[in-house]
Amino acid sequence: MENTTEILGLYPTWYQPALGSGWVLGIIAVIHVLASHTSVGAALVSTWLATVAVRRNRPELLEYVRRYGVFLLVFSYVLGSITGPGIWFSATVASPRGLSALIHSYVWWWATEWVFFFIEVVGIYLLVYLAGKVDGRSYLKIAWIFGLASWATMLIIVGILSFMMWPGQERWFTEGGTLDGFFGLYTFAQILSRTCFMLMAAALAGGLIAAYIRDGAFRLEMTRKLAWVGMLGAVLGAVFFQWGLTTLPESAQLLMKTRLPGSFVPAMWAILSAIVIYFATLLLRPGALNVPLAAAMMAALLIFGIWPEERARESMRKPYVAGQFVYSNQIIARDVPALGVKSELPALESRGMLALHPFIPEHLRRIGEGNALEAGHALAIVYCSNCHGLGTTGTRPFGEMFAGNRDAADIERFIKGALVTGNMVNMPRIPLRDDEAHALAQFIASLPLWHSITR
Amino acid sequence: MDIETLYALRSSSGLPSHPAIFLILLVLTWALHMIAVHVMLGSTALALTGAFSSNAHGRRLAGPMLDTAKVAVSIAIVIGVAPLLFVQVIYDPFWYVSNVLSARWAIAFIVVLLVAYWAMYHHYFVGKDGGSATSRWSLALSLALLLAAGFIMHALASQALRPELWMAWYAPEGHLETAGSGIHEFNLGRFLFFIVLAAPVTGAWLLGCRRYLACREQSDAPYLEWIASLGNKLMTGGGFAALICYAAWMATLPDSAAGFPVSLWSIVANASILLLIVTPALFRSASGSYAPFATATGAVLLIAIAREALRHRILFGTHGYELSTYAINLDWYSNALFCLTFAGVGGFAIAYSVAISWEAGKTPGIYTASPRVDRLGGFALAALLVWIAQYFFVGFLVMAR
Repeated sequence: MENTTEILGLYPTWYQPALGSGWVLGIIAVIHVLASHTSVGAALVSTWLATVAVRRNRPELLEYVRRYGVFLLVFSYVLGSITGPGIWFSATVASPRGLSALIHSYVWWWATEWVFFFIEVVGIYLLVYLAGKVDGRSYLKIAWIFGLASWATMLIIVGILSFMMWPGQERWFTEGGTLDGFFGLYTFAQILSRTCFMLMAAALAGGLIAAYIRDGAFRLEMTRKLAWVGMLGAVLGAVFFQWGLTTLPESAQLLMKTRLPGSFVPAMWAILSAIVIYFATLLLRPGALNVPLAAAMMAALLIFGIWPEERARESMRKPYVAGQFVYSNQIIARDVPALGVKSELPALESRGMLALHPFIPEHLRRIGEGNALEAGHALAIVYCSNCHGLGTTGTRPFGEMFAGNRDAADIERFIKGALVTGNMVNMPRIPLRDDEAHALAQFIASLPLWHSITR
Repeated sequence: MDIETLYALRSSSGLPSHPAIFLILLVLTWALHMIAVHVMLGSTALALTGAFSSNAHGRRLAGPMLDTAKVAVSIAIVIGVAPLLFVQVIYDPFWYVSNVLSARWAIAFIVVLLVAYWAMYHHYFVGKDGGSATSRWSLALSLALLLAAGFIMHALASQALRPELWMAWYAPEGHLETAGSGIHEFNLGRFLFFIVLAAPVTGAWLLGCRRYLACREQSDAPYLEWIASLGNKLMTGGGFAALICYAAWMATLPDSAAGFPVSLWSIVANASILLLIVTPALFRSASGSYAPFATATGAVLLIAIAREALRHRILFGTHGYELSTYAINLDWYSNALFCLTFAGVGGFAIAYSVAISWEAGKTPGIYTASPRVDRLGGFALAALLVWIAQYFFVGFLVMAR
């Protein structure tokens, strides 16, 4: 039956030509991952150290916990607590319907995480300001409440991230319910791998504080302790990460093998090896620890570890951006009977994007001789700009696509053969009508001219 | 935008509960967020004026106000996450469009807030004891950036209420403008009103501080009197300033809100501001009182309700947008999960945190928790462990099904 919808719920588009809106979101997300992983790992490490400090009556260890807490407050909690909502802000402008799909299904889970986040932030202040000012038993309670609440934030986010990649149970599509979307083998694999990597990040950050300890013997002791934590975190995290990859569907694994740069896997092994070697060196020669080295290892983790890992995760869920039903270009591409969600592809196929998108100027609703280029531009903005630069800058720019071919007929043939039919595994199906495919091809072919006109 | 389009922009995934629940939580958490924002702005301003002041009491107050400001920024951000979540759930068409149309500003908000926070910490670490000129100016920068962040939020909220102008902003003269670089709508009266409210709220906070400090041994009576006097002045003077800003806001409301200034909810907002003005006279106490802060919290909550009534008048009254027609896909588990976590885990943990920091702050030397406080901590810890256990138990049940 033909879809008779008059208008689709598509939002305006923010097009960022220099970086691409996806990269803006990615940069904020990666910084957040570093800060939040460090803070959750550090919360667990602090809980352990506070327990040892109180049980064995070691005030110098308590002072280390306090100083570590101050560092976390200024680094992880400022950065993490601002970039956390920052991911929402950047996802709102880069991918509003993707974020909306997650928020509307998992609002109560996120609200629950907010409760733990509140406890965690209050907890870090108490851990810092009440160190040495309350009795040991109370301090232990504060530390454990802080540590467990911090870990609980991760437990919730991991489930939502898992859903974002792939609903945990296939029946979620037909039966609904947040639990079936939330829990899958991948959820548990992520809990294990992320917890380990968080401990590793915490050990790297802890090294920055340990490097400032003046008491030589205590400094060596702390360095060794952190090196053990970091080493175990790195090795076990890698094992669980590998297991996590096997829990993903075949298509995700295929995408990982075919769409990621060849350097990805060797680079991941290289950074992991470097981190293991770093911790092994500290175990054998704890005196080698210094601030520049510890800071460099943190930066290396961010640039060579978290960034490629986040990029891989994004690639593996393509062409979807959330729950395997929202495309990365914001179109709902699959029925979800449990929620009453209908695919928008049939309506787009029959009536066209320009007719159905609410944020298209009236003079572009019908393609004629005088507006083909502008209509093609509007189609490129809506269908393509989330993943492609519409010139020579940004991610995967059109200027570098089609091997430099600017023949409109060739481009139109490619669009109809690969995109309209949905024959590219990593790209959304683009159900353009004939006149739209023609206009889009005209626009892509005329890019140098378009840029000179609109500059 | 016509009403069909506004409804089409709603999430097709629907809501897991009735929209009224989210609306109530939105108003409540927004009010709490604003209380924290007001204390944050007020304490930062007092820390800043104290750092530049020659008044001994003012300089002395700058230290604790800086400590207050640091924590208040944290609390404002943490509480702010909740209304940010709830506004996306029920007002998604408005919030998302407004953000996309000013995308660069939405992203800038993050950077501005980050620099503001770190600038505050810079002053804290570098200029703790009075501060160098540089660190004082970094505190000034922090306050300016906090206000800028507030202005961005204000503009995004204002734009969300003008769906009739969205297309003109997105496609001026019919051509797509996708850079998201503009601020399209703001109302200076409205912005100033919510900023100026920081004065009476901080005044109420100071009266509470006066009461708290009076419990300590060796309290300095002239200093405490000065704090109380400053608190009273801020409440009354700031309340009058807020009244003027409110009038300026009401005088410049768009046509879509016509009639609101003389509505019942506007009268409630005015009464709330008047309440802030007369609070110092109502709660005169030699040793200060916590009642003014409780009153200020109540007043801000009423103002938050009035603000929501204004949104309702514009979105429902002018555009016909009804919240109650949002599709519901009820999800019992996540409803129960939040309620029980909020009341059980959150309730115990926050009560314990407040109790122990409160008591420890009043106690010279090391504080040993009373049996009651200790028991509260035990409950909080147990609730957390039960929560984590149920997470894995339920997870394995789902997997085994």
